[in-house]
Amino acid sequence: MVFSRLFFIYFFLPLCLLAYSLARGIDRKNTVLIIFSLVFYAWGEPVYVLLMILSAAVNYAAALVIHHSRGNGRDRSAVAAAVIFDLLMLGVFKYSGFIAENINLLLHTSLNVPHIRLPIGISFYTFQTISYVIDVYWEKVDAQFSFKKFLLYVCLFPQLIAGPIVRYSDIEAEINERSADLSDISYGLNRFVLGLAKKVLIANQLSIVADNLLGGSGISLMGAWLGAAVYGLQIYFDFSGYSDMAIGMGRVFGFHFNENFRHPFVCKDITEFWQRWHISLSTFFRDYLLYIPIFGKRRKYGGLFLVWLCTGIWHGASWNYIIWGLYYGLFVFMEMQIGKKRMKSISTPIRHIYSKLVIIIGFGIFYFEDLGKLGRFFKALIGLGGSGVISASDKLTFFNNVWLIIAAVALTFPIISTVKKYTEKNEIAVYVTSGVTVFLSAALLVLTSIMLVDATTNPFLYFRF
Amino acid sequence: MNDKTKRIIRNSISLANIIAVVWLLGTGMGYLIFGKKDKISTEENRTLAKFPHFTLSSYLSGEYTEALAHYFDDNVPKRREYKDLIAKKFIPLKGIEYGSDNITIYGSAPEKPEEKQESATEAPTEEVTEAPENTVEEAEATEAPQPEPEPQEVNNDDGELTNNIVVANNRGIMLYGGGWGRELEYADYVSEYKRQLGDGVKVWSMVIPTACSFYMPDKFKELSADEKTDLDTIRDALVDVGSIDAYSALAEHKDEHIYSRTDHHWQQIGAYYAGREFAKAAGVPYPELDTYERVILSGYVGTLYGYTQSASLIDNPEDFVYYKPTTEMTVTRYNTSFGDPSVQPLLNDPINMASSSYYLVFGGDEAITHVETDCKNARTLVIFKDSYGNALMPLLTSSFENIYLCDIRYFDLNAIKFIKDVGATDVLFTMCTFSAMGDNHYCIYNNMYK
Repeated sequence: MVFSRLFFIYFFLPLCLLAYSLARGIDRKNTVLIIFSLVFYAWGEPVYVLLMILSAAVNYAAALVIHHSRGNGRDRSAVAAAVIFDLLMLGVFKYSGFIAENINLLLHTSLNVPHIRLPIGISFYTFQTISYVIDVYWEKVDAQFSFKKFLLYVCLFPQLIAGPIVRYSDIEAEINERSADLSDISYGLNRFVLGLAKKVLIANQLSIVADNLLGGSGISLMGAWLGAAVYGLQIYFDFSGYSDMAIGMGRVFGFHFNENFRHPFVCKDITEFWQRWHISLSTFFRDYLLYIPIFGKRRKYGGLFLVWLCTGIWHGASWNYIIWGLYYGLFVFMEMQIGKKRMKSISTPIRHIYSKLVIIIGFGIFYFEDLGKLGRFFKALIGLGGSGVISASDKLTFFNNVWLIIAAVALTFPIISTVKKYTEKNEIAVYVTSGVTVFLSAALLVLTSIMLVDATTNPFLYFRF
Repeated sequence: MNDKTKRIIRNSISLANIIAVVWLLGTGMGYLIFGKKDKISTEENRTLAKFPHFTLSSYLSGEYTEALAHYFDDNVPKRREYKDLIAKKFIPLKGIEYGSDNITIYGSAPEKPEEKQESATEAPTEEVTEAPENTVEEAEATEAPQPEPEPQEVNNDDGELTNNIVVANNRGIMLYGGGWGRELEYADYVSEYKRQLGDGVKVWSMVIPTACSFYMPDKFKELSADEKTDLDTIRDALVDVGSIDAYSALAEHKDEHIYSRTDHHWQQIGAYYAGREFAKAAGVPYPELDTYERVILSGYVGTLYGYTQSASLIDNPEDFVYYKPTTEMTVTRYNTSFGDPSVQPLLNDPINMASSSYYLVFGGDEAITHVETDCKNARTLVIFKDSYGNALMPLLTSSFENIYLCDIRYFDLNAIKFIKDVGATDVLFTMCTFSAMGDNHYCIYNNMYK
């Protein structure tokens, strides 16, 4: 089940909110959330829900072993076994087909290429369980003795299938005790509606534009640049919209998830971009991969490229994602070589132009899973795509969607936080903006619901994660 | 204002917000459950999702839960009104119509099938010329093992329609992507029918151009490939097959309502002009238009609105005009295996229709229709067609004694044997360019070897 469909918004969510509000005491509230989370996951994955429970059980047991055998060597074996189990699971279900295909291609073998349907959200919950066992091993968190509570952490439906990747340490206390007052619930509902609107009103509409510009066989020079830029906007509003919905629903239930996107397109360089884009993923790799002791003194650079390789392949079992990850790694590496001080000394407009060009090309790489088409995209970027500077189709697509594109660009700026900043000093202004927010939230919910009646274009991008 | 008052005001606003959103969620749930639902979507020409039947296997595969959610998503009360609202009020907000023709594009310009382009002229030609060395009877009589022809894969269930559509001057136009070698395949396949059928059966080909040949604004002609070029290539490549020039017949009348503005089909008047060319070539009678009963269904909005949700189309409905033959005839419809016969009227009565539609008037495609007419000229015509042929067939009911109307996509018999079994004197392949040069044309080949 996905958040951006009427069935979720008007059946699943209200029933869950009702059951949750009727439950008394944290234990019953947790039970309600677990039941609804399992139903939510089993809705699309009736069999793979067992895989998720197995994954939770293995990591739960491993953490207990680590806890009870600190210092005697078995803790290290337990954490290694759990991580290997998690990675194997991910490898089998997500990458086995890709690996077999490439072995066949490289070695001219004829290995059977398994066609395993990817369990939705496996990349998210696997990373959560990995972070948990490692944190227990590193004694950053205590092992959770209650399987029920641990299962709640793994399967909590707001962040289960599209992130953010929530660390156990972030919600450890809230699993045991939490509360949501009126302002939490109000904020959470508004945030959910905002995320829904980002996904339905903007991302879904931009997806049509991006496909129009990049989907044809001949791509013009302008089509390539505009198409990749629009695709970047689409991905941003889609990913951050889902994160908003997750954060919002979490808040309604009393959880405080960390922000996952902080207006990434206002960045001035690529390092900053990644400090603002999919933060839970980049910090995961930073905290758990960059410091593994396999690179010795060269770990700074070896680890860096490993991080970017993993970041790329995490997004999908395809070569373009690997190229995409390493492409960003290269620019981060280059910026490290230049140094923070010298980077800052470059004029701001030039840094903006540089970072946007890199990001736009990056989204082009992200779009084309077919390497042949990716090659043609690269040619089109310099006007060799075979469709000239701008095709009639591109011109039409642009003008037919010009207000949508302008609105999307404008909304990448921190408008809400800026308004908040200026109004929070004046109590009356706070009341006015809060009152307007009530109206806006209701209006956006109605508007998105109407748009979902016509849900012929409601892509779910997370099937590959 | 003291802190307590501030807290009360803030909590009141939060509470109002919660009540507003929760009320909307609850009301929405009640609306989706209890609101009156439509059963069909006429503008999309489909039945809306039905409540799913539970089975353990459908549950375990995820189909049941998906279908349940889809049922509520698809059966929103007043669905049509919401879709119209989106089309008229929301979608136009995205941008501006371009140029003096108020043109809007849905989808991109059509994609060139690159892999096909290279292989198209080789593989099928070999297959067609190699496979049937002898006639079917000869092959059965001699027991020599013949290479089993490989069926061609057909990817597109409805190859007549594409998602590449422009709306210009209140007219929806599908963008033709070009044959890229498939026009030669089409000609090979049809020629092979003639080769297998021998001299006793005349084989005709009438590929029908679509609206993009006649109504694309000049400035945007590059969005679409040239249908005329591919039609000429087909004409030149056909071997012993009569080629009917529907293009010229239609071009002469392009100022008339020969194509629907809101639908991807032609209007029956277009079929009349094309059919006249065929009748002339076949040497059969063809009545004047005024011998038919003319029926006008106004307020027609066809398939292209369903695909584009264009406000220009929904705001500018058109007349759907068709012509009822007045001669006597017996119409029998069979299933696609030529079984389960039932006698039916040639055309459906508009009084019994929820709304007008090409398919509702002329009938669907998944059938074989036999018409026995009062034209006793001992000519039997088998038509292999896509849905364009549905509008043509009624106009030939004074031209042939027997007509068998078969859809290339929904035909479960060996086409050569069927043609011989019904004693056909003439076989007409008629379909639009999107079918003749799209995946549908593989069905022509596959039907020879079923």
